[in-house]
Amino acid sequence: MLKIENLHKSYGSFQLDCSMEVLQGRVTGLVGQNGAGKSTTFKAVLGLIRPDGGRIELLGKDGSRFGAKDKQKLGVVLSNAGFSGYLTIKDIVPVMDSLYARFDRAFFLEQVRRFGLPDSQKIKEFSTGMKAKLKVLTAISHRAQLLILDEPTAGLDVVARDELLELLRAFMEQDEDRGILISSHISGDLETLCDDIYMIHAGKIILHEDTDVLLDDYAVLKVDEEQYRTIDKRYILRSRKESFGYSCLTNQKRFYSENYPKVAILKGSIDEVIMMMIRGEAL
Amino acid sequence: MKGLLIKDLRLMKNMGNSLAIILLVAVGMSFYSSDMSFIVVYMAIIGTSFTSSTISYDEFDNGNAFLFSLPVSRKDYVLEKYLFAILMCGGGWLLGSVISIAVGTARSGLDPMEGMMTALVLLPVAVCLNVLLVPLRLKFEAEKSRIAQIVIMGGIFLVVIAGTKIAERLGIDLEALGERVPVMSAGMGIVVALGVCIALLLLSCHISIRIMERKEF
Repeated sequence: MLKIENLHKSYGSFQLDCSMEVLQGRVTGLVGQNGAGKSTTFKAVLGLIRPDGGRIELLGKDGSRFGAKDKQKLGVVLSNAGFSGYLTIKDIVPVMDSLYARFDRAFFLEQVRRFGLPDSQKIKEFSTGMKAKLKVLTAISHRAQLLILDEPTAGLDVVARDELLELLRAFMEQDEDRGILISSHISGDLETLCDDIYMIHAGKIILHEDTDVLLDDYAVLKVDEEQYRTIDKRYILRSRKESFGYSCLTNQKRFYSENYPKVAILKGSIDEVIMMMIRGEAL
Repeated sequence: MKGLLIKDLRLMKNMGNSLAIILLVAVGMSFYSSDMSFIVVYMAIIGTSFTSSTISYDEFDNGNAFLFSLPVSRKDYVLEKYLFAILMCGGGWLLGSVISIAVGTARSGLDPMEGMMTALVLLPVAVCLNVLLVPLRLKFEAEKSRIAQIVIMGGIFLVVIAGTKIAERLGIDLEALGERVPVMSAGMGIVVALGVCIALLLLSCHISIRIMERKEF
Protein backbone atom coordinates (compact mmCIF):
# COMPACT_ATOMS: atom_id res chain seq x y z
CA MET A 1 0.00 0.00 0.00
CA LEU A 2 2.84 2.32 0.89
CA LYS A 3 6.49 1.78 0.12
CA ILE A 4 9.17 4.28 1.06
CA GLU A 5 12.67 3.71 -0.28
CA ASN A 6 15.60 5.80 0.95
CA LEU A 7 13.53 8.89 1.51
CA HIS A 8 15.89 11.80 2.09
CA LYS A 9 15.08 15.21 3.45
CA SER A 10 17.40 17.69 5.15
CA TYR A 11 16.53 20.54 7.50
CA GLY A 12 19.78 22.11 8.63
CA SER A 13 21.56 19.48 10.69
CA PHE A 14 18.56 17.11 10.65
CA GLN A 15 18.75 14.43 7.98
CA LEU A 16 15.90 12.03 7.25
CA ASP A 17 16.88 8.75 5.62
CA CYS A 18 13.91 6.44 5.83
CA SER A 19 12.75 3.21 4.21
CA MET A 20 9.59 1.44 5.27
CA GLU A 21 6.52 -0.36 4.00
CA VAL A 22 2.85 -0.65 4.91
CA LEU A 23 1.24 -3.84 3.65
CA GLN A 24 -2.39 -4.48 2.77
CA GLY A 25 -4.50 -5.63 5.71
CA ARG A 26 -1.95 -4.48 8.26
CA VAL A 27 -1.63 -1.71 10.80
CA THR A 28 1.91 -0.39 10.86
CA GLY A 29 3.19 1.79 13.67
CA LEU A 30 5.92 4.40 13.52
CA VAL A 31 7.41 5.32 16.87
CA GLY A 32 10.14 7.67 17.91
CA GLN A 33 10.94 10.69 20.02
CA ASN A 34 9.82 14.22 19.19
CA GLY A 35 11.88 15.45 16.25
CA ALA A 36 12.88 11.91 15.23
CA GLY A 37 11.40 12.36 11.74
CA LYS A 38 7.89 10.89 12.04
CA SER A 39 6.00 13.97 10.91
CA THR A 40 8.55 14.70 8.17
CA THR A 41 7.99 11.19 6.83
CA PHE A 42 4.20 11.65 6.93
CA LYS A 43 4.46 15.03 5.19
CA ALA A 44 6.68 13.62 2.45
CA VAL A 45 4.21 10.78 1.84
CA LEU A 46 1.37 13.30 1.57
CA GLY A 47 3.30 15.55 -0.82
CA LEU A 48 3.34 18.43 1.66
CA ILE A 49 7.11 18.68 1.43
CA ARG A 50 9.47 17.87 -1.45
CA PRO A 51 11.89 15.04 -0.67
CA ASP A 52 15.56 15.61 -1.52
CA GLY A 53 15.82 12.02 -2.74
CA GLY A 54 14.35 8.54 -2.62
CA ARG A 55 11.12 7.05 -3.82
CA ILE A 56 7.60 6.83 -2.46
CA GLU A 57 5.00 4.47 -3.87
CA LEU A 58 1.48 5.08 -2.64
CA LEU A 59 -1.40 2.73 -3.50
CA GLY A 60 0.52 1.48 -6.53
CA LYS A 61 1.36 4.95 -7.83
CA ASP A 62 4.57 6.92 -7.77
CA GLY A 63 4.34 9.55 -5.02
CA SER A 64 5.08 12.44 -7.41
CA ARG A 65 2.09 11.40 -9.53
CA PHE A 66 -0.27 10.89 -6.65
CA GLY A 67 -2.83 13.61 -7.36
CA ALA A 68 -5.86 15.14 -5.72
CA LYS A 69 -8.16 12.46 -7.14
CA ASP A 70 -5.98 9.70 -5.66
CA LYS A 71 -6.22 11.34 -2.24
CA GLN A 72 -9.87 10.27 -2.16
CA LYS A 73 -8.45 6.92 -1.07
CA LEU A 74 -6.52 8.36 1.86
CA GLY A 75 -7.74 9.26 5.32
CA VAL A 76 -5.36 11.60 7.10
CA VAL A 77 -4.85 12.86 10.62
CA LEU A 78 -2.01 15.35 11.19
CA SER A 79 -0.85 15.96 14.73
CA ASN A 80 -0.81 19.74 14.53
CA ALA A 81 -3.30 20.56 11.80
CA GLY A 82 -6.96 20.19 11.00
CA PHE A 83 -9.97 22.10 9.71
CA SER A 84 -10.01 25.80 10.57
CA GLY A 85 -10.99 26.37 14.20
CA TYR A 86 -13.48 28.97 12.98
CA LEU A 87 -15.66 26.31 11.36
CA THR A 88 -18.23 24.10 13.07
CA ILE A 89 -19.06 20.44 12.43
CA LYS A 90 -22.17 21.65 10.59
CA ASP A 91 -19.85 23.63 8.29
CA ILE A 92 -17.54 20.66 7.74
CA VAL A 93 -20.23 18.20 6.63
CA PRO A 94 -21.02 19.87 3.26
CA VAL A 95 -17.30 20.47 2.69
CA MET A 96 -16.51 16.77 3.19
CA ASP A 97 -19.55 15.86 1.10
CA SER A 98 -18.22 17.92 -1.81
CA LEU A 99 -14.61 16.84 -1.47
CA TYR A 100 -15.12 13.08 -1.07
CA ALA A 101 -17.15 11.09 -3.56
CA ARG A 102 -17.69 8.35 -0.95
CA PHE A 103 -18.28 10.45 2.16
CA ASP A 104 -20.60 8.55 4.50
CA ARG A 105 -22.59 11.41 5.96
CA ALA A 106 -24.87 9.20 8.07
CA PHE A 107 -21.93 7.33 9.63
CA PHE A 108 -20.07 10.57 10.33
CA LEU A 109 -23.05 12.22 12.02
CA GLU A 110 -23.81 9.07 13.99
CA GLN A 111 -20.24 9.00 15.33
CA VAL A 112 -20.37 12.73 16.09
CA ARG A 113 -23.44 12.06 18.24
CA ARG A 114 -21.85 8.97 19.80
CA PHE A 115 -18.79 10.93 20.88
CA GLY A 116 -20.92 13.83 22.08
CA LEU A 117 -19.31 16.41 19.80
CA PRO A 118 -21.26 19.69 19.58
CA ASP A 119 -22.10 20.31 15.93
CA SER A 120 -22.77 24.03 16.16
CA GLN A 121 -19.78 25.05 18.25
CA LYS A 122 -16.62 26.42 16.64
CA ILE A 123 -13.84 23.82 16.59
CA LYS A 124 -11.42 26.25 18.27
CA GLU A 125 -13.64 26.05 21.36
CA PHE A 126 -13.37 22.23 21.47
CA SER A 127 -11.24 20.49 24.08
CA THR A 128 -8.06 18.73 22.90
CA GLY A 129 -9.85 15.39 23.14
CA MET A 130 -12.83 16.59 21.13
CA LYS A 131 -10.55 17.92 18.40
CA ALA A 132 -8.69 14.58 18.27
CA LYS A 133 -11.96 12.66 17.95
CA LEU A 134 -13.16 14.92 15.15
CA LYS A 135 -9.90 14.49 13.24
CA VAL A 136 -10.15 10.70 13.36
CA LEU A 137 -13.83 10.76 12.40
CA THR A 138 -13.14 12.89 9.33
CA ALA A 139 -10.35 10.48 8.32
CA ILE A 140 -12.46 7.32 8.53
CA SER A 141 -15.76 8.61 7.13
CA HIS A 142 -15.11 8.38 3.41
CA ARG A 143 -14.22 4.71 2.97
CA ALA A 144 -10.51 5.35 2.55
CA GLN A 145 -8.17 2.54 1.60
CA LEU A 146 -5.19 3.76 3.59
CA LEU A 147 -5.21 5.77 6.79
CA ILE A 148 -2.18 7.92 7.56
CA LEU A 149 -2.51 8.95 11.18
CA ASP A 150 0.07 11.13 12.91
CA GLU A 151 -0.51 11.04 16.68
CA PRO A 152 -4.28 10.54 16.41
CA THR A 153 -4.78 9.74 20.09
CA ALA A 154 -2.71 12.61 21.52
CA GLY A 155 -4.54 14.37 24.34
CA LEU A 156 -7.24 11.73 24.75
CA ASP A 157 -8.18 10.12 28.06
CA VAL A 158 -7.99 6.34 28.39
CA VAL A 159 -11.68 5.72 27.65
CA ALA A 160 -11.79 7.98 24.59
CA ARG A 161 -8.55 6.46 23.34
CA ASP A 162 -9.97 3.01 23.63
CA GLU A 163 -13.11 4.07 21.76
CA LEU A 164 -11.04 5.52 18.94
CA LEU A 165 -8.82 2.46 18.71
CA GLU A 166 -12.00 0.40 18.51
CA LEU A 167 -13.12 2.56 15.58
CA LEU A 168 -9.82 1.93 13.84
CA ARG A 169 -10.12 -1.83 14.42
CA ALA A 170 -13.65 -1.75 13.01
CA PHE A 171 -12.34 0.23 10.05
CA MET A 172 -9.83 -2.54 9.32
CA GLU A 173 -12.38 -5.34 9.80
CA GLN A 174 -14.78 -3.83 7.25
CA ASP A 175 -12.39 -4.42 4.37
CA GLU A 176 -9.28 -6.58 4.32
CA ASP A 177 -7.72 -4.48 1.56
CA ARG A 178 -7.29 -1.55 3.90
CA GLY A 179 -4.19 -0.49 5.77
CA ILE A 180 -3.12 1.99 8.43
CA LEU A 181 0.12 3.82 9.11
CA ILE A 182 -0.01 5.29 12.59
CA SER A 183 2.41 7.16 14.81
CA SER A 184 1.90 7.50 18.52
CA HIS A 185 3.70 8.36 21.71
CA ILE A 186 1.48 6.00 23.62
CA SER A 187 2.99 2.53 23.41
CA GLY A 188 -0.23 0.93 24.68
CA ASP A 189 -2.00 2.12 21.53
CA LEU A 190 0.62 0.54 19.33
CA GLU A 191 0.86 -2.73 21.28
CA THR A 192 -2.85 -3.39 20.97
CA LEU A 193 -3.40 -2.07 17.46
CA CYS A 194 -0.30 -2.54 15.30
CA ASP A 195 0.79 -5.64 13.43
CA ASP A 196 4.30 -4.33 12.99
CA ILE A 197 6.29 -1.41 14.28
CA TYR A 198 9.06 0.77 12.86
CA MET A 199 11.25 2.70 15.26
CA ILE A 200 12.77 5.93 14.01
CA HIS A 201 15.57 7.87 15.68
CA ALA A 202 17.45 10.95 14.43
CA GLY A 203 15.90 10.49 10.99
CA LYS A 204 16.80 6.82 10.60
CA ILE A 205 14.80 3.62 11.02
CA ILE A 206 16.62 1.76 13.78
CA LEU A 207 14.25 -1.18 14.19
CA HIS A 208 11.43 -2.93 12.35
CA GLU A 209 9.66 -5.84 13.95
CA ASP A 210 6.28 -7.55 14.17
CA THR A 211 4.53 -6.44 17.35
CA ASP A 212 4.06 -10.06 18.49
CA VAL A 213 7.78 -10.71 18.13
CA LEU A 214 8.59 -7.48 19.90
CA LEU A 215 6.40 -8.36 22.85
CA ASP A 216 7.23 -12.09 22.99
CA ASP A 217 10.92 -12.29 22.07
CA TYR A 218 12.37 -8.97 23.14
CA ALA A 219 13.42 -8.53 26.77
CA VAL A 220 15.71 -6.48 28.97
CA LEU A 221 18.29 -8.43 30.96
CA LYS A 222 19.41 -6.92 34.24
CA VAL A 223 22.93 -8.21 34.95
CA ASP A 224 25.72 -7.34 37.35
CA GLU A 225 29.30 -6.68 36.24
CA GLU A 226 30.33 -10.34 36.60
CA GLN A 227 27.32 -11.67 34.67
CA TYR A 228 27.90 -9.04 32.00
CA ARG A 229 31.49 -10.21 31.50
CA THR A 230 30.52 -13.85 31.07
CA ILE A 231 27.16 -13.66 29.32
CA ASP A 232 26.90 -14.72 25.65
CA LYS A 233 26.49 -11.41 23.83
CA ARG A 234 25.50 -12.80 20.43
CA TYR A 235 21.84 -11.80 20.88
CA ILE A 236 22.38 -8.58 22.78
CA LEU A 237 21.23 -5.65 20.63
CA ARG A 238 22.01 -2.81 23.03
CA SER A 239 23.50 -2.48 26.48
CA ARG A 240 23.48 0.33 28.96
CA LYS A 241 25.55 0.93 32.08
CA GLU A 242 23.44 1.11 35.24
CA SER A 243 24.20 1.55 38.94
CA PHE A 244 23.71 -2.21 39.55
CA GLY A 245 25.63 -3.31 36.44
CA TYR A 246 24.11 -3.38 32.94
CA SER A 247 20.73 -3.44 31.20
CA CYS A 248 20.89 -5.43 27.98
CA LEU A 249 18.26 -5.55 25.25
CA THR A 250 17.84 -8.89 23.52
CA ASN A 251 15.56 -10.23 20.82
CA GLN A 252 16.12 -13.83 22.05
CA LYS A 253 14.46 -13.85 25.45
CA ARG A 254 14.11 -17.64 25.47
CA PHE A 255 17.82 -18.22 24.87
CA TYR A 256 18.73 -16.25 27.98
CA SER A 257 15.91 -17.58 30.17
CA GLU A 258 16.97 -21.14 29.36
CA ASN A 259 20.75 -20.65 29.56
CA TYR A 260 20.99 -18.01 32.28
CA PRO A 261 18.27 -18.83 34.83
CA LYS A 262 19.84 -16.54 37.43
CA VAL A 263 19.65 -13.44 35.23
CA ALA A 264 16.69 -11.12 35.88
CA ILE A 265 14.72 -10.85 32.65
CA LEU A 266 12.10 -8.14 32.16
CA LYS A 267 9.47 -8.76 29.51
CA GLY A 268 9.94 -6.39 26.60
CA SER A 269 7.53 -3.50 26.19
CA ILE A 270 7.64 -1.02 23.38
CA ASP A 271 8.68 1.72 25.81
CA GLU A 272 11.59 -0.39 27.12
CA VAL A 273 12.70 -1.31 23.62
CA ILE A 274 12.57 2.34 22.46
CA MET A 275 14.53 3.43 25.51
CA MET A 276 17.21 0.80 25.05
CA MET A 277 17.48 1.24 21.28
CA ILE A 278 17.99 4.98 21.68
CA ARG A 279 20.01 5.22 24.89
CA GLY A 280 21.84 1.92 24.80
CA GLU A 281 25.10 1.19 23.02
CA ALA A 282 25.36 -1.29 20.17
CA LEU A 283 27.85 -4.07 20.88
CA MET B 1 -13.00 23.13 -5.71
CA LYS B 2 -16.66 23.20 -4.67
CA GLY B 3 -15.72 21.95 -1.21
CA LEU B 4 -13.15 24.72 -0.78
CA LEU B 5 -15.64 27.33 -1.92
CA ILE B 6 -18.18 26.04 0.61
CA LYS B 7 -15.49 26.19 3.30
CA ASP B 8 -14.67 29.82 2.49
CA LEU B 9 -18.32 30.84 2.28
CA ARG B 10 -18.95 29.17 5.66
CA LEU B 11 -15.98 31.05 7.12
CA MET B 12 -17.52 34.24 5.73
CA LYS B 13 -20.88 33.38 7.22
CA ASN B 14 -19.22 33.10 10.59
CA MET B 15 -18.07 36.71 10.16
CA GLY B 16 -21.74 37.76 9.90
CA ASN B 17 -21.56 40.69 12.34
CA SER B 18 -18.59 42.25 10.57
CA LEU B 19 -20.42 42.03 7.26
CA ALA B 20 -23.49 43.79 8.67
CA ILE B 21 -21.31 46.59 10.10
CA ILE B 22 -19.48 47.06 6.78
CA LEU B 23 -22.79 47.30 4.94
CA LEU B 24 -24.15 49.84 7.41
CA VAL B 25 -20.98 51.94 7.08
CA ALA B 26 -21.30 51.89 3.28
CA VAL B 27 -24.96 52.99 3.42
CA GLY B 28 -24.07 55.65 5.98
CA MET B 29 -21.19 56.96 3.86
CA SER B 30 -23.35 57.14 0.76
CA PHE B 31 -25.60 59.62 2.60
CA TYR B 32 -22.76 61.90 3.61
CA SER B 33 -20.39 61.58 0.66
CA SER B 34 -21.14 62.83 -2.80
CA ASP B 35 -18.21 60.85 -4.19
CA MET B 36 -19.81 57.71 -5.51
CA SER B 37 -16.52 56.17 -6.62
CA PHE B 38 -15.23 56.20 -3.04
CA ILE B 39 -18.05 53.93 -1.82
CA VAL B 40 -17.73 51.57 -4.80
CA VAL B 41 -13.96 51.21 -4.33
CA TYR B 42 -14.41 50.93 -0.54
CA MET B 43 -16.82 48.03 -0.96
CA ALA B 44 -14.60 46.35 -3.57
CA ILE B 45 -11.58 46.63 -1.25
CA ILE B 46 -13.58 45.19 1.64
CA GLY B 47 -14.70 42.32 -0.63
CA THR B 48 -11.10 41.71 -1.64
CA SER B 49 -9.95 41.73 1.97
CA PHE B 50 -12.26 38.76 2.66
CA THR B 51 -10.14 36.67 0.30
CA SER B 52 -7.08 37.67 2.28
CA SER B 53 -8.91 36.74 5.50
CA THR B 54 -9.75 33.24 4.25
CA ILE B 55 -6.09 32.71 3.30
CA SER B 56 -5.18 33.70 6.87
CA TYR B 57 -7.75 31.26 8.25
CA ASP B 58 -6.25 28.52 6.07
CA GLU B 59 -2.74 29.28 7.29
CA PHE B 60 -3.70 29.52 10.95
CA ASP B 61 -2.56 26.54 13.06
CA ASN B 62 -0.83 24.95 10.08
CA GLY B 63 -4.22 24.44 8.43
CA ASN B 64 -2.76 24.38 4.92
CA ALA B 65 -0.98 21.11 5.66
CA PHE B 66 -4.32 19.52 6.46
CA LEU B 67 -6.09 21.13 3.48
CA PHE B 68 -3.55 19.68 1.06
CA SER B 69 -3.89 16.22 2.57
CA LEU B 70 -7.53 16.34 1.40
CA PRO B 71 -8.37 15.67 -2.27
CA VAL B 72 -7.32 19.19 -3.21
CA SER B 73 -4.48 20.12 -5.55
CA ARG B 74 -2.52 23.32 -5.17
CA LYS B 75 -3.93 24.47 -8.51
CA ASP B 76 -7.50 23.78 -7.30
CA TYR B 77 -6.75 25.84 -4.21
CA VAL B 78 -5.49 28.84 -6.19
CA LEU B 79 -8.33 28.69 -8.72
CA GLU B 80 -10.84 28.57 -5.88
CA LYS B 81 -9.21 31.60 -4.24
CA TYR B 82 -9.51 33.59 -7.49
CA LEU B 83 -13.12 32.50 -7.93
CA PHE B 84 -13.83 33.49 -4.33
CA ALA B 85 -11.96 36.78 -4.83
CA ILE B 86 -13.99 37.59 -7.94
CA LEU B 87 -17.22 36.74 -6.13
CA MET B 88 -16.32 38.82 -3.09
CA CYS B 89 -14.73 41.74 -4.89
CA GLY B 90 -17.40 41.66 -7.61
CA GLY B 91 -20.06 41.39 -4.93
CA GLY B 92 -18.56 44.36 -3.08
CA TRP B 93 -18.39 46.38 -6.29
CA LEU B 94 -22.00 45.52 -7.19
CA LEU B 95 -23.31 46.26 -3.72
CA GLY B 96 -21.32 49.52 -3.53
CA SER B 97 -22.63 50.52 -6.95
CA VAL B 98 -26.25 49.72 -6.11
CA ILE B 99 -26.09 51.55 -2.78
CA SER B 100 -24.39 54.66 -4.14
CA ILE B 101 -26.56 54.87 -7.28
CA ALA B 102 -29.74 54.33 -5.26
CA VAL B 103 -28.84 56.86 -2.57
CA GLY B 104 -27.34 59.28 -5.12
CA THR B 105 -30.46 59.14 -7.32
CA ALA B 106 -32.81 59.62 -4.36
CA ARG B 107 -30.77 62.32 -2.61
CA SER B 108 -29.08 64.44 -5.24
CA GLY B 109 -30.85 63.47 -8.45
CA LEU B 110 -27.92 61.46 -9.84
CA ASP B 111 -28.61 60.17 -13.33
CA PRO B 112 -28.68 56.34 -12.88
CA MET B 113 -27.05 55.86 -16.30
CA GLU B 114 -24.21 58.17 -15.36
CA GLY B 115 -23.88 56.30 -12.06
CA MET B 116 -23.68 52.99 -13.89
CA MET B 117 -20.97 54.31 -16.20
CA THR B 118 -18.93 55.47 -13.19
CA ALA B 119 -19.38 52.05 -11.60
CA LEU B 120 -18.28 50.32 -14.82
CA VAL B 121 -15.20 52.53 -15.05
CA LEU B 122 -14.32 51.42 -11.52
CA LEU B 123 -14.81 47.71 -12.27
CA PRO B 124 -11.29 47.26 -13.79
CA VAL B 125 -9.85 48.94 -10.67
CA ALA B 126 -11.69 46.38 -8.52
CA VAL B 127 -10.40 43.48 -10.66
CA CYS B 128 -6.85 44.84 -10.52
CA LEU B 129 -6.96 44.83 -6.71
CA ASN B 130 -7.06 41.05 -6.83
CA VAL B 131 -4.36 40.83 -9.49
CA LEU B 132 -1.97 42.25 -6.93
CA LEU B 133 -3.38 41.00 -3.66
CA VAL B 134 -3.80 37.25 -4.18
CA PRO B 135 -0.24 36.33 -5.26
CA LEU B 136 1.27 38.65 -2.63
CA ARG B 137 -0.90 37.15 0.08
CA LEU B 138 -0.05 33.60 -1.02
CA LYS B 139 3.66 34.40 -1.17
CA PHE B 140 3.99 36.30 2.10
CA GLU B 141 2.39 36.07 5.50
CA ALA B 142 -0.31 38.65 6.26
CA GLU B 143 1.93 41.41 7.66
CA LYS B 144 4.69 41.08 5.04
CA SER B 145 2.04 40.93 2.31
CA ARG B 146 0.63 44.27 3.49
CA ILE B 147 4.11 45.84 3.41
CA ALA B 148 4.74 44.37 -0.07
CA GLN B 149 1.44 45.85 -1.33
CA ILE B 150 2.37 49.31 0.00
CA VAL B 151 5.85 49.04 -1.54
CA ILE B 152 4.44 47.99 -4.94
CA MET B 153 1.73 50.68 -4.95
CA GLY B 154 4.36 53.23 -3.94
CA GLY B 155 6.65 51.90 -6.67
CA ILE B 156 3.94 52.28 -9.33
CA PHE B 157 3.22 55.82 -8.10
CA LEU B 158 6.92 56.73 -8.24
CA VAL B 159 7.30 55.29 -11.75
CA VAL B 160 4.34 57.36 -12.98
CA ILE B 161 5.67 60.55 -11.34
CA ALA B 162 9.20 59.90 -12.62
CA GLY B 163 7.87 59.16 -16.12
CA THR B 164 5.93 62.41 -16.16
CA LYS B 165 8.94 64.41 -14.94
CA ILE B 166 11.27 62.81 -17.49
CA ALA B 167 8.75 63.51 -20.27
CA GLU B 168 8.56 67.14 -19.13
CA ARG B 169 12.36 67.48 -19.21
CA LEU B 170 12.51 65.94 -22.65
CA GLY B 171 9.84 68.37 -23.76
CA ILE B 172 7.24 65.72 -24.52
CA ASP B 173 3.69 67.00 -24.11
CA LEU B 174 1.82 64.02 -22.63
CA GLU B 175 -1.58 65.68 -22.91
CA ALA B 176 -1.08 66.34 -26.62
CA LEU B 177 0.12 62.76 -26.99
CA GLY B 178 -3.02 61.53 -25.29
CA GLU B 179 -5.20 63.51 -27.62
CA ARG B 180 -3.54 61.87 -30.63
CA VAL B 181 -4.55 58.39 -29.39
CA PRO B 182 -7.54 57.20 -31.50
CA VAL B 183 -10.69 58.30 -29.81
CA MET B 184 -12.66 55.45 -28.29
CA SER B 185 -16.17 55.54 -26.95
CA ALA B 186 -16.46 55.28 -23.16
CA GLY B 187 -18.04 51.83 -23.55
CA MET B 188 -15.20 50.60 -25.75
CA GLY B 189 -12.70 52.03 -23.28
CA ILE B 190 -14.26 50.04 -20.45
CA VAL B 191 -14.26 46.85 -22.54
CA VAL B 192 -10.56 47.33 -23.43
CA ALA B 193 -9.69 48.08 -19.79
CA LEU B 194 -11.60 45.03 -18.62
CA GLY B 195 -9.86 42.89 -21.25
CA VAL B 196 -6.47 44.09 -20.00
CA CYS B 197 -7.54 43.40 -16.41
CA ILE B 198 -8.69 39.87 -17.24
CA ALA B 199 -5.36 39.20 -18.98
CA LEU B 200 -3.55 40.49 -15.87
CA LEU B 201 -5.82 38.34 -13.70
CA LEU B 202 -4.90 35.22 -15.70
CA LEU B 203 -1.21 36.10 -15.42
CA SER B 204 -1.62 36.70 -11.69
CA CYS B 205 -3.40 33.34 -11.33
CA HIS B 206 -0.55 31.60 -13.17
CA ILE B 207 2.00 33.22 -10.85
CA SER B 208 -0.07 32.24 -7.79
CA ILE B 209 -0.17 28.59 -8.90
CA ARG B 210 3.63 28.64 -9.24
CA ILE B 211 3.94 30.16 -5.76
CA MET B 212 1.71 27.50 -4.18
CA GLU B 213 3.38 24.63 -6.03
CA ARG B 214 6.73 25.65 -4.57
CA LYS B 215 5.48 25.91 -1.01
CA GLU B 216 6.12 23.28 1.66
CA PHE B 217 3.85 22.78 4.64
